Amino acid sequence: MISLIVVLPFLSALLMGVVYLSNTQKKRNTFYTLVGVGTPAVSAVLSLMAGAELLQGAQTIHYTLFQWVNIGEFNIEVAFMADRLSVVMVAFITVIGTLIHIYAAGYMKEDAAYGKFFAYFNLFMGSMLLLVLADNPIMMFVGWELVGLSSYLLIGFYHHDSANITAANKAFILNRVGDFGFIMAISLLFVSLEGNGFTFDSIEANIGLINHEMLALIGTLLFVGAMGKSAQIPLYVWLPDAMAGPTPVSALIHAATMVTAGVYMVARYSFLYGEIPNIGLFIASVGAASALFAALIASYQSDIKKILAYSTMSQLGYMFIAVGLGAYSSGIFHVFTHAFFKALLFMGAGAVIIALHHEQNIFKMGGLKKELKLVYITMFVATLAISGIPPFAGFFSKDAILVAAFASEHYFIWGVGSLTAMLTAFYMFRLLFLVFHAAPKSTNRLHSVPNSMTYPLVILACGSATAGFLGLNEAYGGGSWFNTFLALPDVSHHIPHATEYMLGGLNVILGVLGMGLAYKMFAKEATEVKADTLFKKILMNKFYIDELYDFLIIKPLLFTSHFIAKVIDPKIFDGFINLNVWGYTATATLFSKLQNGKVRYYALYILAGVSAMSCYMLFKLGVL
Amino acid sequence: MMQHILTFIIFIPLFTAIVLGIMRASTKSLKIGAMFSSVITLFLVAVVAYNFNPDIGMQFTKNLPWIQNAGISYIIGVDYLSLVILLLIGLLMPPLYIYMYHEERKGYWYNMMLLQTGVTGAVLSLDLVLFYLFWETMLLPIFVMIGKYGNGMHQYNSMKILLMTILGSMSMLFSILYIGYIYFETTGMWSFALSDLAIIAFEPKTSIWLAAGFLLAFAIKIPLVGFHTWMAPAYGSAPTPAVVILSAIMAKLGIYGIWRFGYGLFESTLSYYAPTIIVLALIGLIYYAIRAITENNLRKMFAYSSGSHLSLIALGLFLTNIYAWSGSLYFIATHALASAGMFLMIGLTYKRFNTVHISDLGGIASKAPIFTFFFAFFALSIAGLPGTGGFVAELLIIIGAFKADFWIGVLTATTMLSAMMYIFWMLQRTLFGAANKECQYSDLTLREITILLPLVVLLLVTGIVPSLFIPLFEPQLTTTLQDVLFVIGGLK
Amino acid sequence: MTPELFFLLSSVLFSIGLVGLVARRNLFVLYMSIELMLSSVNLLLATFSKVFGDASGSVIALLMIAVIAAEAALFLALIIHMYRSSRTIDSDTFDRLKGQIND
Repeated sequence: MISLIVVLPFLSALLMGVVYLSNTQKKRNTFYTLVGVGTPAVSAVLSLMAGAELLQGAQTIHYTLFQWVNIGEFNIEVAFMADRLSVVMVAFITVIGTLIHIYAAGYMKEDAAYGKFFAYFNLFMGSMLLLVLADNPIMMFVGWELVGLSSYLLIGFYHHDSANITAANKAFILNRVGDFGFIMAISLLFVSLEGNGFTFDSIEANIGLINHEMLALIGTLLFVGAMGKSAQIPLYVWLPDAMAGPTPVSALIHAATMVTAGVYMVARYSFLYGEIPNIGLFIASVGAASALFAALIASYQSDIKKILAYSTMSQLGYMFIAVGLGAYSSGIFHVFTHAFFKALLFMGAGAVIIALHHEQNIFKMGGLKKELKLVYITMFVATLAISGIPPFAGFFSKDAILVAAFASEHYFIWGVGSLTAMLTAFYMFRLLFLVFHAAPKSTNRLHSVPNSMTYPLVILACGSATAGFLGLNEAYGGGSWFNTFLALPDVSHHIPHATEYMLGGLNVILGVLGMGLAYKMFAKEATEVKADTLFKKILMNKFYIDELYDFLIIKPLLFTSHFIAKVIDPKIFDGFINLNVWGYTATATLFSKLQNGKVRYYALYILAGVSAMSCYMLFKLGVL
Repeated sequence: MMQHILTFIIFIPLFTAIVLGIMRASTKSLKIGAMFSSVITLFLVAVVAYNFNPDIGMQFTKNLPWIQNAGISYIIGVDYLSLVILLLIGLLMPPLYIYMYHEERKGYWYNMMLLQTGVTGAVLSLDLVLFYLFWETMLLPIFVMIGKYGNGMHQYNSMKILLMTILGSMSMLFSILYIGYIYFETTGMWSFALSDLAIIAFEPKTSIWLAAGFLLAFAIKIPLVGFHTWMAPAYGSAPTPAVVILSAIMAKLGIYGIWRFGYGLFESTLSYYAPTIIVLALIGLIYYAIRAITENNLRKMFAYSSGSHLSLIALGLFLTNIYAWSGSLYFIATHALASAGMFLMIGLTYKRFNTVHISDLGGIASKAPIFTFFFAFFALSIAGLPGTGGFVAELLIIIGAFKADFWIGVLTATTMLSAMMYIFWMLQRTLFGAANKECQYSDLTLREITILLPLVVLLLVTGIVPSLFIPLFEPQLTTTLQDVLFVIGGLK
Repeated sequence: MTPELFFLLSSVLFSIGLVGLVARRNLFVLYMSIELMLSSVNLLLATFSKVFGDASGSVIALLMIAVIAAEAALFLALIIHMYRSSRTIDSDTFDRLKGQIND
């Protein structure tokens, strides 16, 4: 049954793809909506059923579809494993995914390539579910790459504009750079464990066979893959550009699901990372750095979707802080809550963009809180959640992470995390106030926003408000149901409740501070930021990282290619051949000069030859 | 009847060509005759595949003395390795003929039939001189196709490929003759049968030179870096059917040659050459890919792509472990399918837009979605996307590489990065962006979809359910590998 | 009159003939050189015949005279024809068998 969760979206994608290609001009919106939205819904139901089974105490559900490869000791099956971690993930992926599909039905309804969109969207769902439900690293990698492919297809959906395709290329290429590390890790893992089976269960059982250095290397390389997929430093530059895709794509892929695959992967390999806490610290540091870095950039961005993109990168940083420091459940918990409010934020942003006829610059928006009341309220809830204000979901998950950082005595990371929390509140409320509160910049009539787009917002807002209680830990009176259900090998630290309350209170204060600062600066009126000081210039140009990559990698690569084409190939390899050719023709020309058709020269040659032979015979052979 | 089936498979195309030639057939009968012969051959190949027993070695063998005084016999047979390439040949010829449907020049058809005989014979021969005969035979039609029907500097390029390949063949001939001589010295009889010659142990010094003769021929064919300058011009000038066979079949025959004759005759010497070839292959992997980035001619770009992946296959061949070998064999099959599809797409592009230069193309996606799908699919399967066969193969080779040595593994893994470097930018410039107003964008016709769809399906099946195919070759592959390892006594 | 003197004369005549053959372009001179060489060989034969008292040398010399006469007729006839077709008796102009260099 769990295999259906994965197989159905793939089949529906295939079906819709074939139907679409058979006649691309025909509008079959009802068909596509039914199949395209229905399939994730079915998957959602199945996932919840599987979750219920596990809740009632069942063991991990395994299911093998068929054998994939069996050569030597490399025995991989297309098999699925629904353990507690994956069932939690698929539950929210499918549910939130279905909501976003409903939203997309409204958002994309005018588009001529509606069918293609849902085919790609379902392809993505299938791939993501494969990634999560895979029972061995190879199947996870297949899902991992296919998710990258779907991302490429969806970002480049509006393919008439070549700039979108550039963004799509960037996403796929950087993902693949991460995959380069990932596949090295998987290969090393297999080679080290050869002969002992290669499913997650068997790897976990045999992890002791691998020596410490190899484990560290594997752990780092796996994280390289996560850096690409989850947009951490240095492989993050694709995420802001990925906003070129339609907004539902940004909501589903670049907020709630694909980007969290890296976090999931670290949690899945928790048995491995548990052995190498140094690498974990490295992961946490990268996460902290990315979090702060992204928050700084977001504070100066003016495109609504880009702000949200950097916000995602920042929140992902938090998740990596958590899983890096061994607090796997907290990391997954933050993935869970983040999915709710980030998807909501993106969908709300999409509603705003549609309402304002595709305007994306927040400084050109304003005063929408009356017209788009529902959107405003839901986005307000989401912004409160992301800023870590209780009792909304974000508070509990973010607090858990910061407490873990503090408790494991990594105070620097805790400090960075707290500072970022304040910045998060700041730039998110900046966005909210500029879009909804500030004086309106345009007086055009708003485009209407279909209901299919607004209803999911409400559901997600409820989620953002309440989901936090699932992870309530003891200090606040709850039983950490989320964590206990997940049963991950968390590193536990105990700090007194008093410290916890202090830390929690600090978070709230920081959040309110950020909110207040944003209110003061932006709620009444706003001017677009100018790049006057050097500090601002650097931030507004995103630390010039794109330019750096262009300089360090793209230009040398193109130069080498031209160099090979103009110099090495023609001059050296061809040159060697041409040298031979020249040699032959030169010799031939030389010899042909001997044959000049004149009798007397021939007579001379005869003379020379006979003399040589005679001399040889006379003097060497002694004929006389 | 079954005994002779391989002989039929080899000679039916040649026989058809001769008969049609003598009868001075009209173009229409020529086309029908050629297609008929390819379909019959495909059917016979299917029969062979169906009756193939994966657990025994050479099957369907035939051993007839030919030139007895010189020890040359007509020996053919098929085992797991030849079967793969035989299937590829059988599968690719009918679609090529359908693609060539409107081709009125008779020379095309005659040459393709001759070519089919040549490559089939080369892959099935088990006598060295017979192999050499077919090896040369398959070169001639290519020479004529490029020289007479090609475009660009086609005469110069066809001479180049001819001369460079013949250079390799010459050295191989010297080795073959000298081996025959050694056999005569040791046993007093002449024979060129592989099974006889494989038993002789050569002195190390001689063996190195003999192996070099063979390896030179195959290195030029694959091509390995340094021996490759014929490739891009030849692929660029060749007409589509020729380039499909060049890339999908003939290049693989270079690998096949090393596998069959290199490992068959010179197992211990190959470990002497292994470091050099592995280095060359790794360099080639990256070198060709970087070169392809700024190539503007689509055919040449995929020529370099072909070289890059074939270097990977050669690499896998010299890493003697089960994963690398299976990966190489699997890659032979899947890459042939993917590159055949790709070159067919490029040919279709040429038919529609009269250009294969990327700078002249663009915006196809907005006008011809089905074309876009097939084009992108083949390009992505060349890039090794999971779900297509290429991924399985690359994965196996990477694992094999890591098993052999850490740093070789790291460099081999760069194959993940290499193809994407040029493919994505190419796709962007050819398929996407704004459409060029003046061009005629017609989507694929049903006939064209029929030739491409089987390739797509095969690529997907080999990617999603490799276990359908692996049991065909795994038993014998393991046995051969064990024999080789026994001789070499370990890795590298 | 020692035989050595005859040998010397023969060699000198042969050498003169050889040089003339190689160095001169005039067809008649070419012919004369050939005749000179042949004559020197005749002389040598006659000398050896006298020295060893063997008659075969003289017989060969006589036969050679006949052959030389026939050759003379042929050669001179050819020269006349060649002159008629190309109006020159410079042997260097008859070089059409030299072949071309392809570029």
